[in-house]
Amino acid sequence: MSLLSVSQLRAGYGPINVLHDLALTVEAGEIVVMLGANGAGKTTTMRAISGMLGRSGDVVFEGTNISKATPDAIVRAGVAQVPQGRGTFPELNVEDNLRAGAYVRKDGEIDADIDRWFDVFPRLQERRAQRAGSLSGGEQQMLAVARALMSRPKLLLCDEPSLGLAPLITQELFAVIERLNRETGLSVLLVEQNANLAMQIAHRVYLIETGRIVATGSADELSADDSIRKAYLGF
Amino acid sequence: MALFLQRLVDGLSSGSVYALIALGLVIIYRGTGHLNFAQGEMALFSAYVVYQMGEWGLPIGFALMIGLAVGFVIGAVAEVGLVRPVSKKSPFAVFIVTIGLFQLLNWLAGAIWGDQVLPNSGVGSEQQQYPSLFPDAPEDFVKVFGAAIRYQSIGVFGLTMVITGLLFLLFNKTKFGLAMRAVASNTESAKLVGIRVNTVLMVSWGLAAAIGTIGGVVFAGINNSVSLGLMFTVFIYGSAAATLGGFDSPGGAVIAGLMIGVIEGMAAGYIGFIGQEMKLAVAFIVILVVLMVKPSGLFGTAKVERV
Repeated sequence: MSLLSVSQLRAGYGPINVLHDLALTVEAGEIVVMLGANGAGKTTTMRAISGMLGRSGDVVFEGTNISKATPDAIVRAGVAQVPQGRGTFPELNVEDNLRAGAYVRKDGEIDADIDRWFDVFPRLQERRAQRAGSLSGGEQQMLAVARALMSRPKLLLCDEPSLGLAPLITQELFAVIERLNRETGLSVLLVEQNANLAMQIAHRVYLIETGRIVATGSADELSADDSIRKAYLGF
Repeated sequence: MALFLQRLVDGLSSGSVYALIALGLVIIYRGTGHLNFAQGEMALFSAYVVYQMGEWGLPIGFALMIGLAVGFVIGAVAEVGLVRPVSKKSPFAVFIVTIGLFQLLNWLAGAIWGDQVLPNSGVGSEQQQYPSLFPDAPEDFVKVFGAAIRYQSIGVFGLTMVITGLLFLLFNKTKFGLAMRAVASNTESAKLVGIRVNTVLMVSWGLAAAIGTIGGVVFAGINNSVSLGLMFTVFIYGSAAATLGGFDSPGGAVIAGLMIGVIEGMAAGYIGFIGQEMKLAVAFIVILVVLMVKPSGLFGTAKVERV
């Protein structure tokens, strides 16, 4: 059984339907990358999975259909999303941002987890008491990822983390995601416009065009396909 | 010196009421970005409820509890039933809805309790004066440097400080406070970390109305009576305090409320031609000057975002 299995997913904004019977799966322990151009429906897919949009179809997570669940129930089930454009709490300091990330937890290990993510992202520790809004773009993205991880998710959804970041910072961030996946078995669904870096950490890749999955395969398979390589990888 | 002290204490006492109304406005504004025009009338309605409890012979402590509960429910129901359905459509719609609520509550209070100043033995009031939270007999004062400081003034000011302190703890030391701040900062992300935003907003409105209730009861206590027009000027001063303090800063709202109360009292007392009629204008001139220099208010955060 897949960790996440999406089928016949339809979602959109008002009368406009963006996703047309979209289907995808994420296995436990997998990093899945979804590539697509601007407006293909990547963000809509993420928001539909995390319950931020009205949707129809099936979204099955760990055997439970969450397609009718509210965002807070989905977080509790173990899905955390890093929204596009970081979405930190600009007026809250770094530590409170992380605490807010642990909002659904009731255990006593929240402080220990904060220290753990400070070890992974040392720059956040230096800025512990600083307001999130005053951090650089890269630091905010690190904070957004750390905040999502504070809920101890089984599946992390990352919506275009590379947006607005220098390639070097993006590389650093992807290296952390890859390491977490390797060391803790965290499953990741990552959508990107910027294919090159994302492909390097992907176990499996989906291509999305106008709200439909048009191709799927391993990173190697897809980069071997000429037309795909030209359209998405630019070489 | 005695006169100065007297005016300072009187100013702090009325300033406390402005601060309480301003606090309610700020809590709602932080949560939803709306100015609640009905804040004063919510307080008025529950002030009437407390009067009614007094009529029925309940001690003021109990009466206040019931008033707080009624206030909380009015606020929560207003958010769920009136504000939430229209807030997705447009912020102007919410503005109109809160004005409508203002009229509804004032009308409802008038329909139930009439348009007399209460208590009024002419309409059968049992009580001699509005139930006071603090000892308020003519001899209930203490002489400090020749000034007569009434227990009521001390009590009102002290109560406001206690409420401010409790709110500070709520905001900064509790999980619910963290959720309130998160919702105020970024509603979308608040949903994504699993905060039930609707619950937070409902409780915020209830809390704001409950704090307003204390403002209304205290002010009716200072006036010794309640009437339909009681909260009009208080609301204006309260929203001025919220503006001056910075609409997103609870601490700023309290300090600004106290400031306005003191400025008003001092200007009316010391500047001959101002007197009681012009004191409203003085407070607003001060606010105008401050806002020209610092548009986000004394303690408000100017929105700056790095991308």
